Amino acid sequence: MNFFQRAIKNTTRKLSKSVLLALTFFVIGNFVIVGLGISNAAEQAKVMTRKQMRAAVTYQLDYEAFWDYIEELPEEEQMEAYNHYPYITDDEIQALMADDRIKSVNAITNLQAWPIDIEGVPLNNEYEQNNYGSSMSCWIDETGQEVCEEYTWVDPELFIKANGFSGMIEFSDEMYILKEGRMYTQEEIEDAEKVCLITDTLAEHNNLRVGDMIEISFESPSNFNNHYNSWYSEMGLTEEDFKLELEVIGIFDNTQIADPTADNFDWMAKYESPENIVLMPDSIYAEHQLNISLKSWEYYKQMWPDDEYYQNEDNMPTMDNILSKSAVTLLLNDPLEVDSFVEQVQASLDGQYRLLDANNETFEQLSRPLDTLTLFSSMIVVLVLVNAVVIITLVTALTLKTREYEIGVLLSQGVSKFMVIAQFFVELALVAVLGFTLAVGSGSLIAGRVGEAVLQYQVEFSGLNETEVDDDYNYISNWNDNYFTEISLSDMVDAYEVQISPLIIGEIYVAGLGIVLISILIPSLMIMRYNPKKILMSAQ
Amino acid sequence: MSVILKLENINYSYIDGGMKRTILKDCSFEFEEGKFYTILGPSGSGKTTLLSIIAGLDTPESGTFYYEGIDVKKMGLTKYRRNKMAIVFQQYNLINYLTGYENVLLAMTETDNPIPKNKKGVAYALLEKFGIVKTKADRLVSKLSGGEQQRVAIARALGSNVDLIFADEPTGNLDTATEEEIIRIFKQLTEDFGKTVIVVTHSNAVSRFSDHRLKLENGQLRLMGENE
Repeated sequence: MNFFQRAIKNTTRKLSKSVLLALTFFVIGNFVIVGLGISNAAEQAKVMTRKQMRAAVTYQLDYEAFWDYIEELPEEEQMEAYNHYPYITDDEIQALMADDRIKSVNAITNLQAWPIDIEGVPLNNEYEQNNYGSSMSCWIDETGQEVCEEYTWVDPELFIKANGFSGMIEFSDEMYILKEGRMYTQEEIEDAEKVCLITDTLAEHNNLRVGDMIEISFESPSNFNNHYNSWYSEMGLTEEDFKLELEVIGIFDNTQIADPTADNFDWMAKYESPENIVLMPDSIYAEHQLNISLKSWEYYKQMWPDDEYYQNEDNMPTMDNILSKSAVTLLLNDPLEVDSFVEQVQASLDGQYRLLDANNETFEQLSRPLDTLTLFSSMIVVLVLVNAVVIITLVTALTLKTREYEIGVLLSQGVSKFMVIAQFFVELALVAVLGFTLAVGSGSLIAGRVGEAVLQYQVEFSGLNETEVDDDYNYISNWNDNYFTEISLSDMVDAYEVQISPLIIGEIYVAGLGIVLISILIPSLMIMRYNPKKILMSAQ
Repeated sequence: MSVILKLENINYSYIDGGMKRTILKDCSFEFEEGKFYTILGPSGSGKTTLLSIIAGLDTPESGTFYYEGIDVKKMGLTKYRRNKMAIVFQQYNLINYLTGYENVLLAMTETDNPIPKNKKGVAYALLEKFGIVKTKADRLVSKLSGGEQQRVAIARALGSNVDLIFADEPTGNLDTATEEEIIRIFKQLTEDFGKTVIVVTHSNAVSRFSDHRLKLENGQLRLMGENE
């Protein structure tokens, strides 16, 4: 009959004592399950909400820090420092992309363009039906006469998103779905290949296929028929300088639509329609823009021979200047890695005027009731566990006093003290398992009710209900570079559900065995000091 | 006859009311195998202390005792208690949440001595040999009479298959008739099982049945007489 069998016999035959002890563990178990269950549900709700959010991080210039730096400089050095504005470079973004946590990067330059041989998909809204495109412009000429000119404005019809990287967040997120052809490659970006992707509706409207060519202009044709034209002529710029011919290499479906019920629908121009988006490498635009910038540079250089800035060749426009960005958006693979990524990367950017923003403010604000709940429940768990250890230690130590005689007999039989301790451990563990098993059922019910009641109280107490997002408001904009997903308190509260998972059950049993193990320590020291002679002879 | 237990200059004393009280003083003796010894002596003479030392429940201040020529201290007291000796107490010292059978089985399980594979059968047979039938053997020991509990304690002593059995006032709580039965059992242990039995007792009735009557006097063991 080994220690285990003896422990079973003792537990089953001293039933009232075992039941009382099991009840103690049952009560402890309920508290622990309630605590762990609530804490876990709160954490899970945060995790689920975080997962609902797009894992986007904005990598941007820290304007405030840079301005603070400028202002601290002597006045004569400020302009020079400003000329070295710390724009985000391509190399810098490439270095960031080496991190395998990053899935996609949007380093996008948003542009408007005028189609030459195609036309934008019409919106058929109020703006298109009324002619808002002309105005009268008047001024006083050198002779003192008022001169008026009708100024006709031709709206751009296309919205260009020129990205510096081939992996666009919109494709990763399936906001854009490639239907035909392919996305441009990184090599094509580096080589400034004149390629583009257009929406399926734009393709359909113009009967375009992959492989077709389209021609666009970055300047309104109307500007070559008014006073701008003379200015451009002085600079040596012609209409051709603003034109660009692109090969359609892909056709995609933009899942966003110009919803006629949207607040701004009736005032949208064609280029604002999600159907009129054209994607292309930003290097094409940069190359194109460089030509224009260099011509205008030369013009100003000659016009202002005393201007230090234009006379300094170092300030001449370059591809790098044009490609530099003030903000890019990174999309990570895992939303749960956002915080650690931001913390880690931010720490490595000290003194570089860079800021990472994971739009955590709303999340953290909305998380507060759950954080309080987690804190509250964790404290319960800790308090209960500490009390449990104290109570069970005392109970075991007191029980030991009544079992001295039995210990003496076992020792006189040659049973080692360790085996005596092992028997007591098993006895406690058996009733603990029984108590905790019963507690798993009742605890999960209690945890659900208590957790919801406390969360409700927390939500009301925090007043966060008032900060909920107004779902009725909608606005369509191709300019929107905000890749952060809006979340509301109700998203988080909805995600809160107390479930006693196998992991929690495992944790409870581990906690129970931990209590037993710690509780047996002091009684074990007592047993180790026992002298069988003293016990047995005093019993005679 | 070979010597099973040899005491060599055992000394034991304790402080009582600030005074050192010597219980055993250079106590030496050799116990032969297969004999029934009784140790007599007045109350407070140190009989129980001597028994607790030679039973490995306590350690002497100085001196050595040998089991079959091996220093017990070197052997280890737990090992000695588990494999070499068994002890029967006046209060029987059975585990009260176990049945008689389970108490015997406990001794059989704990020992490293060779035990027949059919432990269950052997345990019941041992108990039956001492008048504990199966129905009683399967009762919790707290439900048995004093005499029955003492028989269970003796069966347990035999269960571990040791050659040396100690008993401390084994009949102290029993009526005369039961006392006689228990004495016969001890006698039987030496005659039928070849065990060495050392009993500490006040009872002349017990000592009359022993092979050797010893007296503990002035901290030393002295042979008082032998019975044929």
